[in-house]
Amino acid sequence: MRGGHQQFEFRASFSDLAEGLDILHQSIDRLRQATGRPADDRPLMLFETALGEIGSNVLTHGRPRGTAEPIDYALWFDEGTVVASLTDSGSPVQDHLAREMPAHDREAGRGLAMARSLLDELGYERDGGMNRWRLVKRL
Amino acid sequence: MALEVETHTADNGITVVAATGRLDVAGAPMLKEAISEVVKNGPPRIVIDMEGVSFVDSTGLGSVISALKQIRGSQGELRLAAPNQQARVVLELTTLDRVFPYYATVEEALTGF
Repeated sequence: MRGGHQQFEFRASFSDLAEGLDILHQSIDRLRQATGRPADDRPLMLFETALGEIGSNVLTHGRPRGTAEPIDYALWFDEGTVVASLTDSGSPVQDHLAREMPAHDREAGRGLAMARSLLDELGYERDGGMNRWRLVKRL
Repeated sequence: MALEVETHTADNGITVVAATGRLDVAGAPMLKEAISEVVKNGPPRIVIDMEGVSFVDSTGLGSVISALKQIRGSQGELRLAAPNQQARVVLELTTLDRVFPYYATVEEALTGF
């Protein structure tokens, strides 16, 4: 945070599932505190929900089998917009933008569809053997 | 916070499974295990008390769907109680609020069950 113009930046690397999820949620708590938003701020809650979906996908699938390559995470807020990036070295993700919400009795497969509908922008690119996710929401 | 699950029986014989923490990809197995234990003991009527659940993700939601399948497969019934705002958003976004009846409090969920 600097002066009257609200800015926030957070960076971390992690490889463990539980640790990574804790860090993602802690980063949102810090953003909430830094920007003076209430605990029930709905736009930030929707962003956190999307971040949890992409974060858990990356932590679960985002590393080559048998390796513990760290995942790089950055969160920043500027001019009323929050952006998160997650970078992993797992296999390419196919057709992620086309995935629809599954039937009610399906136990899995909702994460990407949820994230897409909760964000203003969900970006994915494959770059140099890395998956780069970008989550954007105007708060 | 990792998920913690406690189970107790209410006065009318309904089993209340109370979860505390994040019902996410890390916590979902704990809920599944708790429901499986209850189902072993006969046709279950279960209320999942979500008052202490701070956050639900799609995998956590999947564990509730799994619970519903197990319970209905045993001729039982399931109700959700006290989901917070975030959990209600997730239920509505996925339209699973049409599948799971949820109640504002555990007391309401137990009434007439």
